Amino acid sequence: MQENVIQGIFSAVFLAAILRVTTPILLPSLGALISEKAGVLNIGLEGMMLSAAFTGVVVSAYSQDWFGAEAGLSIGPWLGLLLGVCVSLLLSFVLALFHLDLKGDLFLSGIALNIFGSSATVAIMFELTGDRGNTSTLASLQMPFIQLPELIAEIPVIGGFFFGVFDNQSVMTWIAFVLVFVVAFVLYRTPFGMHLRAVGENPEAAESVGINVKRIRYTALLISGFFAGLGGIHMSMGYLQLFQRDMTNGRGFIALVTPSLGGGTPVGTMIASSIFGFFDALGIRIGTLEIPSQLPQSIPYFATVMALVIYALQRRISQRVSAMRTASGSTFDAAFWGAIQRISILHMLLMMVAVIGVVTGAAILSAPNGFGGAETAVPAGLLIGGASCLLFLLGLPFVRDIFRIQERWLASAGVTIISLGITLTLFLALFIELALALGVGLLLGAGVWFMIGGRVLMRGQ
Amino acid sequence: MTFLRRYPLMLIGLLAGTLVTWFVTNTMFAGSAEKMTATATWQNILLVNALVGVCILLFVVELRRGAIRVLLTVIVALLLGFLVTFVFNLDAADRFTRGEFRVQVISDAAPVAGDTVDLEYNKRRGGEFNKPNVVAPVSEVAWTFAGSEGDVVSLLAYAKNRRSTVDVRVELRDAAGTTLAAATSATELQVEETFDDLVSARDAVIEGYTLPEAGVYTLYATPEEVDLGTTLSEAMSQSQLAFEALLLGPIERVNRWGVWIMDAITLILLGLSFAIVFRAQQFSLGAEGQLYFGALVSGIIALNSPHIPGVLLIPVIILASGTAGFIYGLVPGALKAYLGANELVSTLMLNVIATRFFEMVLNFQLKPPEAGYVASAKFTENAILPVIVQGTQVTVAVFLLVVVVFITWLLMRRTPLGYEIRIIGSNLRFADYGGVNSKRTIMLVMAIGGIVAGLAGMHLANGVHRQLILNISFALAFEGVVVALLARLNVLVVPFTGLLYAYLRAGAQFMERDANVSLEVVRMIQAIIILLITAEALVTFFQQRQKRADIDAKGHAVDSLEDMAPPAPSPEAARRGE
Repeated sequence: MQENVIQGIFSAVFLAAILRVTTPILLPSLGALISEKAGVLNIGLEGMMLSAAFTGVVVSAYSQDWFGAEAGLSIGPWLGLLLGVCVSLLLSFVLALFHLDLKGDLFLSGIALNIFGSSATVAIMFELTGDRGNTSTLASLQMPFIQLPELIAEIPVIGGFFFGVFDNQSVMTWIAFVLVFVVAFVLYRTPFGMHLRAVGENPEAAESVGINVKRIRYTALLISGFFAGLGGIHMSMGYLQLFQRDMTNGRGFIALVTPSLGGGTPVGTMIASSIFGFFDALGIRIGTLEIPSQLPQSIPYFATVMALVIYALQRRISQRVSAMRTASGSTFDAAFWGAIQRISILHMLLMMVAVIGVVTGAAILSAPNGFGGAETAVPAGLLIGGASCLLFLLGLPFVRDIFRIQERWLASAGVTIISLGITLTLFLALFIELALALGVGLLLGAGVWFMIGGRVLMRGQ
Repeated sequence: MTFLRRYPLMLIGLLAGTLVTWFVTNTMFAGSAEKMTATATWQNILLVNALVGVCILLFVVELRRGAIRVLLTVIVALLLGFLVTFVFNLDAADRFTRGEFRVQVISDAAPVAGDTVDLEYNKRRGGEFNKPNVVAPVSEVAWTFAGSEGDVVSLLAYAKNRRSTVDVRVELRDAAGTTLAAATSATELQVEETFDDLVSARDAVIEGYTLPEAGVYTLYATPEEVDLGTTLSEAMSQSQLAFEALLLGPIERVNRWGVWIMDAITLILLGLSFAIVFRAQQFSLGAEGQLYFGALVSGIIALNSPHIPGVLLIPVIILASGTAGFIYGLVPGALKAYLGANELVSTLMLNVIATRFFEMVLNFQLKPPEAGYVASAKFTENAILPVIVQGTQVTVAVFLLVVVVFITWLLMRRTPLGYEIRIIGSNLRFADYGGVNSKRTIMLVMAIGGIVAGLAGMHLANGVHRQLILNISFALAFEGVVVALLARLNVLVVPFTGLLYAYLRAGAQFMERDANVSLEVVRMIQAIIILLITAEALVTFFQQRQKRADIDAKGHAVDSLEDMAPPAPSPEAARRGE
């Protein structure tokens, strides 16, 4: 059972699934990136996605009535895309109007739009279908799926894998990944992109050199609405073939964090979105195991909180190190502090693993019936939770203060290697015996620590 | 001086409060004192209504001219909501084009035998026009009948019964398809006397037509086209019906009134939670998760202590749910204060985690094995908040609420911590320079907001549902945001806005029940309210005048933070510390 899950993760099918579930996160993330670059973070992405998703479904379903069954099948999806994006643009225009012209608060206006999108779609759905849950009674259409030529599968070594990943993906997935590079080009290679970034970084300065701040921000919000619209269309006309009440399920909010995680660049945003896609797909995959579905379902949300924390911590540490660089001037040992910084990131990641362990332990303890009854679940939960707690407490001092890594480097190394070793052991135990796995895991952990910065640290002492 | 200036205001507030108390009580009991005293526990109903009056007094006294703005916003939003309802009801006139109908050819002449025709003299035949959710609905019928020369026939097409509202027209056609006669309605006389089957003047009658020759004729019947005037007037009357249910529904009967008050208690608690947190300019939306934890903890205690007397158990439950909310509020607070993690995103994520955790525990631990759906067992009597108005779920939570409002007010206005919270809200840097431990305060303010949200969860579990169910909050948290904002983050005004908003919500339920208008229309009204209330530019003019008046009257700008306009959070503030 577990082996199946692990093997499933390293298959082309799983990668294809990641691409599919990444798309509805990536598209609004790009929108969030652009709006954030212009200094007007679009909180209303969720509502815009829902409106677009719903409009797309309704238009594509009725296009068969309007143009006849034959023409409707080919025109319908594209008309749905067009009108769905138009609705999303309209909502983002309302947001821009209320924020930029009527001086409303961006945050609250965005929330209002989310409420509006969620309720208006359900109200209109109820009018059209008499159902509050979904539009399964409407014969809506999907965006076309792109079939690769069979020739690709014939390419030796990678051909089959490549074909398995990229064949039969929705056209929206292709559009999304192409748009990443379009956004990168626009942001960094065009005057408009430069103005946009200038407005976001310092609106007063941008104003003083004659950039029309308001117009740039209007445009940025409209563009983010455009991306949210595309994402919504993918939800209801690619990912699924119907509209469900509140089907975006927080993706519009996840999209708000991915740009910061991706370091504020389009490609970074794409990678951050893919991480969420990975967790999403993993949650679906783990669902086949005998554990409550709620646990994997909450993985992406945990991941978001962790990512926020790591991002915040990482920023603080970089600031401290660069302040030190300024202060100490030429005597600054860049290689040494670089190593310390890398080790601190490793510490943080392991802390996150420990937190997940604590949470998993708590989850097992609080609902033992879901994990095979109290006899097996309670000891397992106590063991997992307790060990994770211990590792968390051991790691805490090194995350709070990176100078500790320098002062008590041996303790730091020990904590890192044990935590990393245990994590790797858990993973390896799926393939090989436990005792062997523990040995290999600890060895691997030590190796990783040595490579990532331990080498420099040891020499520095 | 200040007191004198407030004196007329107090009077207005008292007047408004008394009026509303009287109006609500009067409507509930249809104006008869006997009916009131005949109701069990009527003294408590009066008490709660008096508290409603007090809320209105506080609203007027606290917000002063701002109260007008809040009222105007709600009225404008309601008008827009009426427009939305109207648009959604544009299909109301469709009821004239669908429904069951009957047709009949009435004649004293002898029937012609033999032919294969659809209708015989004096025999009814019918069907249903435009039946909804059918692949090929019937939109017209053409049925043949045979007649001899000189037969005097009357053609009838009518709604089958009073439930069917179809408005039909009828035609008589000869074999070639030429229309010989047509009718769209019946006269009063025909309905009342001549034909027994007719229901109303909408039914169509061709009376006393003499057939020119022998042969096969066709009776053609179809629903009448609805003209624009009818469409609009139908939509109007439907919307009016809906709004009547929305505006008067909640106080028509004692049980409906109970729904309103019960909902208001939850909303006021949530509104207080948001008002506290937003005061410190922390955009934390964590109340939903804190509510789930409060409900979970109080539910677990309730399920596991069937023998402890309620007098002891209820305080324990209240304390425990508050603590649960406190702890779950502490998490995003600490993340924000010490790590700078954006509280908006982290609380939204923590909400989902709390919901999933709640579902998991409920599904795998608390659900009785034999239960068919996911819910815990019903709580025992000792764990349920005692009801104070019979026939409703208005519980002692009313008194708890009064205490909570008072303590919150004390905390925000009369303690150093409250002062620090308000200082941080108006200017974080100033607070830091002034020696406020802003990190500790930010963490605490989110946790304190969590206490109140946890109590809201307790009220839902032990007062309203009396068991743990899936979706216990029903996305109430976002409604709490509106309540707090409408109150301009003033904790003494929150009870009023909570009552107002709960009134709209309860009204929405009855609107859906009485007038078949979707509940979501009211959520759209909510969105409109938020948009309007945040659009500062719409009211700049008004506020400037108010400020000038304040300055003129006092000789100085503002004497407390509450007198200022609501904090206008800048976009930078929203992004601060991402």
